[in-house]
Amino acid sequence: MSDTALAATAVARRFRLPPPLVVFALGWVGLMLATAFLADVIAPYSYTALDLRNRLAPPIGFGGVMIHPLGTDELGRDVFSRLIYSIRMSLLIAFGATLIGAALGTALGFLAAHFRGLVEQAVMALVDFSASIPFLILALSVLAFFGNSLTLFICLLGLHAWERYARIARGLAISAGAQGYAAAVRQLGATPWRIYGRHVLPNIASTLIVSMTLAFPEIILLESGLSFLGLGVQPPETSLGSMVGYGREYLTRAPWILLSPAAVIVLTTFSVSVLGDWLRDRLDPTLR
Amino acid sequence: MLRFFGFRLLRAAITIVMVVTFAFVVLRLSGDPALLIMSVDAPPEAVEAFRIAWGLDEPLWVQYFKYFAAIFEGDLGRSMRDGRPALTLVLERIPTTLALTIPALMIKLCIGIPAGITAALHRNSLLDRMVMALAVAGFTIPSFVLGLLLVLLFAVQLGWLPSGGQESWRHAILPVITLGVGGAAVLARFTRSAMLEVLGQPYIRTASAKGVPWQAVVWGHALPNAAIPTVTIVGFMVGSLIAGAVVVESVFSWPGVGRLLVVAVANRDLAVVQCILLLVAMTMVTANLVVDLLYGALDPRLRSAPTSAPKGAAA
Repeated sequence: MSDTALAATAVARRFRLPPPLVVFALGWVGLMLATAFLADVIAPYSYTALDLRNRLAPPIGFGGVMIHPLGTDELGRDVFSRLIYSIRMSLLIAFGATLIGAALGTALGFLAAHFRGLVEQAVMALVDFSASIPFLILALSVLAFFGNSLTLFICLLGLHAWERYARIARGLAISAGAQGYAAAVRQLGATPWRIYGRHVLPNIASTLIVSMTLAFPEIILLESGLSFLGLGVQPPETSLGSMVGYGREYLTRAPWILLSPAAVIVLTTFSVSVLGDWLRDRLDPTLR
Repeated sequence: MLRFFGFRLLRAAITIVMVVTFAFVVLRLSGDPALLIMSVDAPPEAVEAFRIAWGLDEPLWVQYFKYFAAIFEGDLGRSMRDGRPALTLVLERIPTTLALTIPALMIKLCIGIPAGITAALHRNSLLDRMVMALAVAGFTIPSFVLGLLLVLLFAVQLGWLPSGGQESWRHAILPVITLGVGGAAVLARFTRSAMLEVLGQPYIRTASAKGVPWQAVVWGHALPNAAIPTVTIVGFMVGSLIAGAVVVESVFSWPGVGRLLVVAVANRDLAVVQCILLLVAMTMVTANLVVDLLYGALDPRLRSAPTSAPKGAAA
C-alpha cells in the first residue's frame, strides 16, 4: 500500500535483508513472544504479590528502589512483573481471538463458495450485519447480556474481523474453483474436505496470513480498550489495558503505573502492523 | 436508478431486521428475564404472574413478533436502574455526545482529507513521509492512551485545561482533540492511497498529455474518482457519531451515550444496552444507505449493477 514500504521492499529483495524498521518490529515481536512464554521464569514477583513497604515506589532513575525496576503501584505490586504477566495475557487473547476469527471466517467463506445459492446469500447477509455495527458496541452488548469470563471474552473478540476472512475466502475459493487444479482434483474423486483443506487452503493461505497480521493489532487495541473500561479481563487477572485502566486513578501521583503498559501496547501494535504491511507487500498475490 | 435505490433499501431493511433478531435472541439466551429481574427467592406464583404480565408464557414466535411490534412503536423497555423509559434515557444523552463527535468529525475532515491529498500529490516528499508517520502513529496509539497522555501534559503538568467533566466548552477541547486526531490519521492514510491509485490511472496521463493544466487534472479528474473510496470511510465515521466516543467519554468523564453504555453494561441494564445497540445499528445502516446512494451520484457505472460496494474501513 505505502509506496515507501514498497520501495523499501524492492531494495530489501535485492539485498535479501528486510528494512531496518521491519528488523526492529521483528525484534520487538520476538521479545514480546519470549516474554509471554517465559513469564514465569523472568518475572521477579507474582503479579499479585504485595510489598507494602514500597507502595507507589517510582522507577529506577526517578528515585526508585533497585528491587522494583519499573516501580510499584498503590498496593506495592511490582509494575515490571505485572507488565510481564499482562503481556502474556494480552498476547494469549489476541492470538486466540485471531485464530478463532480466521478459522470461523474461512470456514463460512468456503461454505458460501461451495454451496452458493441460499447458503451464500445467508453468509453474505451475516457479513453485512457484522459490518453494520461497530464491533465495540456489539462486544459490549454481548458482555452485558452474558456477563464476562475469559473464554467468552476470547471467543467474542474472535468474532472481530471474521467477515473479512469470509469475504476473502469466498472470493478466492470461487476463483480457485474456476481454475484447473480444483476441478482436476474433484474429477479425481476428492471429497470437498480434501479439496478445500489440502488444495484450496494452501493456495490462499498467504492472503489469509496477511489478513491475520492486520487483524492482530486491532484485537490488541480492542482487548486493551475493553479491559481499560473494566469490561474485559477481570481482576485479579491483569492485561495491558486493565493496567492502564488501573493506573489512570494514579495519573497525577504515579504516572509510571500507566506509562509502561501504554508504551508496550503502542510498540506492539506498531510492530505487528509494520510486519503485516511488509508481509502483504511480499506475499499477497492479489497485489502483484 | 429506482431499482438501485430499492435494492439498497431492501438490504438496509434486512440488516435492521437482523439486528433486532440478534437483540431478541441474545436477550432470550442470556436467561429467563423473569428470574433475572425478580429476586432469586421470589415466590413461584409471583414469577408466574410476572411471566403472564410480560407475555413470557406465550410461544417464542409470538414473543418475537410482539417484540418487533413494540420496537416499531418506540417502546424499548424501561431501565432497570431508575425505571425510566430506556429510549428517553438514551435520547437525552445524544446531544452531549454529539457536542464531542461533531467537532471531532470536522477536525477529521478538515485535516485528514487535505493532508491525504497533499501527501499523495507530493509523493515521497518530506511532507508525505511526515503525514504517513503521523498516520501510522494515529492508527497504533489507542484513544485512551492518547487521551491520558494529553491529560498528563495539558491538565496535570501545564494546568491549562481541565482533565474531565462537562462544565464548559474548555472541557470539550481535550476529548475532541483525542477523537479528531486518531480519525484524521486514518482518513489521511485512506485518502492518500485512494489518490495514489487514481493518479496512476491511464486517464490521468491522458488528461495531462492532451495539455489539461495540472490543477484542472487534480480537481476535475483525480479528486472525483478518489472521492468514492473516501466517501465509504467518511460514511462510517458519520454512522458512528452516536457511539464512536465510548472509550474517550470514559477517559474524560463526559456524560454522553458512550458513558451511559459502559455503565449500563457494567450493571447489566439490558433495556438500555439494547436500546443503544438498535439506535447505533440504525444510524450505521442509514449512513451506509446514504453512502450507497452517493456512490450512485458519484459514479454512474454503479447505478445499475447491484454489486457490493467496496468496504474499505478495514485494512
